[in-house]
Amino acid sequence: MAEVEDTLKRIQGYNGVIGSIVVNAEGIPIRTTLDNSTTVQYVGLLHQLTMKARSTIRDIDPQNDLTFLRIRSKKHEIMVAPDKEFLMIVIQSPTE
Amino acid sequence: MAEVDETMKRLQNQKGVQGIIIVNAEGIPIKSTLDNASTVQYAGNIHQLLMKARGIVRDIDPQNDLTFLRIRSKKNEVMIAPDKDYFLIVIQNPTE
Repeated sequence: MAEVEDTLKRIQGYNGVIGSIVVNAEGIPIRTTLDNSTTVQYVGLLHQLTMKARSTIRDIDPQNDLTFLRIRSKKHEIMVAPDKEFLMIVIQSPTE
Repeated sequence: MAEVDETMKRLQNQKGVQGIIIVNAEGIPIKSTLDNASTVQYAGNIHQLLMKARGIVRDIDPQNDLTFLRIRSKKNEVMIAPDKDYFLIVIQNPTE
C-alpha cells in the first residue's frame, strides 16, 4: 500500500498535474486528489468512455486489448490507464 | 488536394504506421491506405467513440473541446485528430 501511496504522490507532484483518481472494479473512486463532485463526474464519464474504447479495440481485433487512453482537449489532457481490477485517471495541463 | 496527398504520404512513410484514414463529418471514409473492410470497420467504430469522447470533454467543461485522442492497445496505437469537418485516423505500431 505504501508503494501505491508513493506512486500517487510522485504523479501528483509532477508539474502540471491537476488531479489523479484511482477507481476500483465497481467504478467507485478509492483514491483521489480532487474534490468529491469533480471526482464523481470524471469517474462516471471516463468509466463509460473506457468501456467503449475497450470494446472498439476488441471489435476490430478480438485478441487485442486496451492498455492506455489519452484524451487531449484545449485546456488539458486526461490519461486513463485501465487494469484488470482498477482504473487510474490523471488529469494534467500539458501546456505548463 | 495535392497537399493532402503529400501529408498522407509523409505520415504513411513514418516508421510503424500501418494505416491512415480520413473520415468526413458524416462518418464516411473519404481516403484510406487500408483495404475497404478494415477502413469501414475502423471509421464506423471510431466515429462513435470520438463523438462520445467529445461529449465527455464538453460535459466536464462546456467551453472545452476535444483536440486529440490516443488509444493505445497491446498490438498498436490508434490516433485520432478531429477537426470541424473531418477527422484523421492513424494506426501505428509504436514498438517498431
